Amino acid sequence: MVMAEEKLWKCGKCKEDLVKKRTAFSYLGHTFSTEVMCCPKCGKVFIPKELAEGKMAAVEQELEDK
Amino acid sequence: MKIEEAASYTEKCFHGSPASCTCACPFHLDIRSLLEKVSKGKWASAYKLLRNETIFPVIVSALCDQPCSNHCQRTQIGDQAISIRDLEDACIRYVKKRKADAYNIPPKTAKVAVVGAGLAGLSCALNLARKKFQVTVFDKELGWGGSIRVHLRFKEFNEEISLMFSVAKADFQFKSEITSLAQLEEFDAIYIATGSGGDSFGLLESWDHELQTTSEKKVFLGGSLCGVSQMEGIAQGAQVSKVIEAYIQTGKASYINKENNFKECGRKLDHDGALSLARVEAKSTDGYSEAEAREEASRCLQCDCDKCLTSCEMLKRFGKAPQKMAIEVYTDTHVNPPLSTHTLARETYSCNLCGHCKSICPEAVDIGAMLQFSRTARFKDNSYPAALHDFWLREMDYAVSQGAFVSAPKGKKTCQYAFFPGCQLGASNPEHVLESYDFLNEHYDAGIFISCCGAPAFWAGDEERLGVHIEKLRQEWFEMGRPKLVFACATCENIFSMMLPEIKSISLYELLDRQSHVLSKCDLTEAVVFDPCAARDDDEMQSSVRRLADKADISLEELQEKNRCCGYGGLIRLANPSLYDEISQVRAEASEKPYIVYCANCREVFAARDKECAHVLDIVFGLSINASIPSLAKKRENSLELKKKLMREKWEMDFEAETHEWDKLSLIIGDELQKMMDQKLISSADLQEAIWLAEESGDKFYDESDGMSLCSMIKPVITYWVEYRKTGPDTYEVYSAYYHRMHFVKGE
Repeated sequence: MVMAEEKLWKCGKCKEDLVKKRTAFSYLGHTFSTEVMCCPKCGKVFIPKELAEGKMAAVEQELEDK
Repeated sequence: MKIEEAASYTEKCFHGSPASCTCACPFHLDIRSLLEKVSKGKWASAYKLLRNETIFPVIVSALCDQPCSNHCQRTQIGDQAISIRDLEDACIRYVKKRKADAYNIPPKTAKVAVVGAGLAGLSCALNLARKKFQVTVFDKELGWGGSIRVHLRFKEFNEEISLMFSVAKADFQFKSEITSLAQLEEFDAIYIATGSGGDSFGLLESWDHELQTTSEKKVFLGGSLCGVSQMEGIAQGAQVSKVIEAYIQTGKASYINKENNFKECGRKLDHDGALSLARVEAKSTDGYSEAEAREEASRCLQCDCDKCLTSCEMLKRFGKAPQKMAIEVYTDTHVNPPLSTHTLARETYSCNLCGHCKSICPEAVDIGAMLQFSRTARFKDNSYPAALHDFWLREMDYAVSQGAFVSAPKGKKTCQYAFFPGCQLGASNPEHVLESYDFLNEHYDAGIFISCCGAPAFWAGDEERLGVHIEKLRQEWFEMGRPKLVFACATCENIFSMMLPEIKSISLYELLDRQSHVLSKCDLTEAVVFDPCAARDDDEMQSSVRRLADKADISLEELQEKNRCCGYGGLIRLANPSLYDEISQVRAEASEKPYIVYCANCREVFAARDKECAHVLDIVFGLSINASIPSLAKKRENSLELKKKLMREKWEMDFEAETHEWDKLSLIIGDELQKMMDQKLISSADLQEAIWLAEESGDKFYDESDGMSLCSMIKPVITYWVEYRKTGPDTYEVYSAYYHRMHFVKGE
């Protein structure tokens, strides 16, 4: 399988290449921000599998335990 | 919430409380700890403990009549009690240097008179002198010791008393008899311990045995003058010193009575698996050698109740004592972020709520009920991680709407019996419900009650959702003429008996057993019955299943532990996947024999582990055993097909399930991916919806070079992602599927 983040994803609506952008996340009342890939035009956020199941899952678990 | 509410769940737990020997000891000496130190040859710390607790260790080891020995747990398994006095003696002999101890504090001006230099008086005087009070001890004799002055070992006792007072200065006035309390007017407090038959100055009748006070405010009384033993006198002397200290400081005699902590002398612990060990006899007349003492001390069972902590995988993993968890259940309802955080989150949602802890606890302490209480409390204060239970709550919503069907038999408005198969039985294998209903319809003219019992809402701690659903169930049952409900699932039966106790019920297996005399033989010849945790208190359900297996000529063996949870209970799978894996593996490996189960969830858990496993309904109706487990989407399809078939065949009614535009999409999902999706509870129906929405709106990511697309769909609390490629008209191959629980805030 091709790793999601090695690919050349474009935004389906804006046809733009994705760029890194600081984005706000929230979970269980906690808010924080980090840089993730987004569409430069519409801001649609791209979350690859590795991020969702890696760092994001770890942070989610940490917040659930707080 | 009040702390008492949480603590009430574990108030009977005696884990960590004093051992029975300690309760019996006049000094409440921590004998477990003492013997642990001795067994390791830690003589200095053993001596220190002994001295701090018994005041005069040499005297105590020589004179104590060891009331602890009658309460030694070794005697529970037929052994002789541990020889405590000989071990105390060894501590004294093998410590390199016996030392007295004093506080490094400034002297106090308050003056205390102690009348009588016997053991009680000395104990009181020593403890007050160590705290730097001005202590004067009066005795009519030539020296200290009182009744022990004539003992053969008085020389040793004398040395010990001298040692202890070497660092705690007191003024000893010997050959000075007090005949009137008027002689002691200058003192701020007076302790009278004039020995058996001694002068109480007329105060004995007004003596309070707890505080040792008298009608004279500043005069205290104790020791064998009041009828206590020598050992009790020493312990009492230490205790009264604290009362006198409080009296001097506050003008009021008071003492923190800890006797309640030591009242359970008669507690009998279960010592399963403890080896019988004979008492170590000293080879020398001088007493134990160091090695002998260590061996004797290591006979201590270090008895403490830890049955639940060593038996339950969840409690083992977190290693928290039940009482500590109770306090955390309380403190978790007073969290004030960011200043404080929850301490119990993972535990609360990692409990199978299976009742095992309660069933093995000598005091029936129910930690599961406490953690259920915690789930409810956290749901109420909106601090519950919704993503942990969202999947099952959505399944419940489906089961009580699209999947539900409630009706008396065709042409009737009411019925005497109605079959409540539970939402999982038909979803997992529709044949189980169809065959069972045929049987019940034929023999009992039963109606059908396909719905969810509400367990997902209960386990999520969502009392409101549960309450609304239960009222709906009550109404539907009422409209069917209040039939007796026939349950195939023990969890459903439990939820009903808890929430709707007015509804009478019986198990499907009991009715099958009554009607079916000989079953056709199945492929199984030998097996063990794996009873679900929810059937723990239903003996009839358990024995009916065994009788049914017996009728099919299956030779049965019993598991060592019955009614352990397969891992499914309490829906811990998303909250603690590794614990879920551990529990399901341990249960699957509890016997090499195939399992006969009577819970659809147990069957799925074991089938997913490739454990040979038959539902008892497979055996009764001659269905194929070891049927594969349907995917999550297939389960919903099964529920609808079952409902459709039943309605058409039994009621001649048509049912058209709700349809969606995305239903027409075909997804190609490889076996490995499907397995992973089932483990993570990602339903292909959700992926269908996500892909359809993305393709309709163009709201997705794409890669021109290989035609791959990636889209996401936010369900109330979970964001699902799916990577796919179109392979034909309305056909998509799925390459990966995943989710996250946090939300992103677009455009920031």
